[in-house]
Amino acid sequence: MSLVLAQSGGFVRDRSAGASGQDACVARDGVCPSWIAENFDRYVEPLQRHVLLTVVALVIGFTISFALALLAHRRRWLVTPIVQLTGILYTIPSLALFFLLLPLTGRGFLTAEIALVSYTLLIIFRNVITGLDGVPADAVDAARGMGLTDRQVLWKVEIPLALPEIAAGLRIAATTTVGLATLAFFAGAGGLGDPIYADLTFKSNVLVAGGLCVLLAVVLDLLVLLAQRLLTPWTRAATA
Amino acid sequence: MTRTTKPDDGGPTATPAASLRFDAVQKRYPGNARPTIESLSIEVPAGEICVLVGPSGCGKTTAMRMVNRLIEPTAGQILIDGRPNTERAPADLRREIGYVIQQTGLFPHRTIAQNVATVPKLLGWSTDRIAARTTELLELVGLDPEFADRYPAQLSGGQRQRVGVARALAVDPPLMLMDEPFGAIDPITRERLQNEFLRLQAQVRRTIVFVTHDIDEAIKMGDRIAVMRPGGRLAQYATPAELLLSPADEFVEQFVGADRALKRLALGRVRDLELEEPTRVRYGDPVAGVREALRRAEVPYPLVIDADGRPLAWLDDDDLHGERIADGIGSEVAVVDRDDILRDAFSDVLQHRVQYAAVTDHRGVVIGILSADAVARELAPPGPAPVQPAEAHHGTGA
Ligand SMILES: Nc1ncnc2c1ncn2[C@@H]1O[C@H](COP(=O)(O)OP(=O)(O)OP(=O)(O)O)[C@@H](O)[C@H]1O
Ligand SMILES: [Mg+2]
Repeated sequence: MSLVLAQSGGFVRDRSAGASGQDACVARDGVCPSWIAENFDRYVEPLQRHVLLTVVALVIGFTISFALALLAHRRRWLVTPIVQLTGILYTIPSLALFFLLLPLTGRGFLTAEIALVSYTLLIIFRNVITGLDGVPADAVDAARGMGLTDRQVLWKVEIPLALPEIAAGLRIAATTTVGLATLAFFAGAGGLGDPIYADLTFKSNVLVAGGLCVLLAVVLDLLVLLAQRLLTPWTRAATA
Repeated sequence: MTRTTKPDDGGPTATPAASLRFDAVQKRYPGNARPTIESLSIEVPAGEICVLVGPSGCGKTTAMRMVNRLIEPTAGQILIDGRPNTERAPADLRREIGYVIQQTGLFPHRTIAQNVATVPKLLGWSTDRIAARTTELLELVGLDPEFADRYPAQLSGGQRQRVGVARALAVDPPLMLMDEPFGAIDPITRERLQNEFLRLQAQVRRTIVFVTHDIDEAIKMGDRIAVMRPGGRLAQYATPAELLLSPADEFVEQFVGADRALKRLALGRVRDLELEEPTRVRYGDPVAGVREALRRAEVPYPLVIDADGRPLAWLDDDDLHGERIADGIGSEVAVVDRDDILRDAFSDVLQHRVQYAAVTDHRGVVIGILSADAVARELAPPGPAPVQPAEAHHGTGA
């Protein structure tokens, strides 16, 4: 079925490309440093696309989950239905979701994003709720007792104290989304899935495209971690 | 909290303390068959500490939390300075009522300074004013200014509790609520915090509702004590002395405990006793002169003091030889503060296994000697009536 959806986007191995000395390596589907060096710029556009797919999915996914979590934080009965709903979204195989969406949203960015976003919801929602639940009850009680309004308690006490847990959820979501975004190619949305599925047998190709995925995942993870460290200086003070 | 009692030192923000009245207050939690508090009426005059004491689950916390409307009563009302606390929005009301809880409730993500500045910031004080007030408050509760930029996790339990008190005092609220503020602290630190708090209260004179289940703490801290029994019913509302001398009924008598006579020691202060005069000497003094002075002395041992009059060591007969008193000799001195309650002072004296303790003022200067005998005399006054009604002075030592 992947063949039905697959559109290589013109990313077919150019066996003739490169210096003549490399032909043997390329013909063997091997890892060919000079081929990689010469063809690297062909991966830049898919990488940019991949970053876009991932970041947009994370921003939208975070916004929705965070809003849902705030809603459910004060109305506890909402937690179970939300977890069930996002849980169902989480378990639908991504390819199946693409197929389900195709008649509605067609091929392209939107379809891919809907699928990617729906995967982040459960992870982020659960972590925000866990983080808010983990806020020390005495801090909240004291905050209320000193005259902070409900909104102030939420934004000045509960959310800051939930940040480590929220960041943890965001990191898992980021790594997962980078991986899932390789499948966006099947929805015709591009990304690093394009080169990967264009030639799965060519080790140089898979190595570069896969390596960029891993690199992107690591960079996003470190970015969130860095943001968390900057935003939560007290967590280090506690153990210092 | 090393500063002394200065009259009328409420700082630039001084507001008069508020009076408080519970008027037939009832609280029934939804789903509970019986009300937690059936009908509670008490009156707390401005500037006094009212202790709510009673067995666990009798409704002390519930009663206290109705004052700042963290809990709404089912019936009756609570009046602050004669006006129902329902007249104002809860958040506004709470900003003018200090709130201290056992678990401290410090914000782990805020520095000590930021924690203390919570209410001033809500009230929109300028940064300069907040900074000045924060420094002042940390000093007031005896915390080094260097703590200002630390996080609560970097403090000990006792230090955190002081921050909790400083935070509650930030805007000099006319009324303070304290729920077992020293409950989770080791006995020695608790005693120190209690003493410091009483000294602080002598300075700031706030109206305080103080919840505890420890009758000893109640006797020590309270100007008035409300003994509650399960069901939130008031068993007795009286001064500590009245409570000890004439418990209203069997429940109170049992709660106060069989050692009522000993507990009376909590009513008096070291300064209330007649102190004995020591023979003050300095290292290097001629031994002959010291021996001469000792002949007329009440306390048979000379006390070595430093240039400022602070106690250094006791000397005994073996130390008095040669021409002059040798530097650094002698044994350790048990020191009690003149403001300490007798019970604590007595236990200090016993701990040191000595007969005498040096009594110092706030600067640490010796003002007299407390003897175990004097305490014993206070406990069982000589004369035909062995248990003589104590004078009506009590708790806070105004
Ligand atoms: N939110 C609530 N809902 C139902 N019942 C409650 C609630 N809060 C307290 N109670 C009940 O009210 C009674 C009094 O509770 P409260 O916390 O006021 O007691 P307390 O005197 O402060 O006890 P302790 O010394 O253990 O702190 C208890 O039996 C408790 O179970
Ligand atoms: Mg309680």
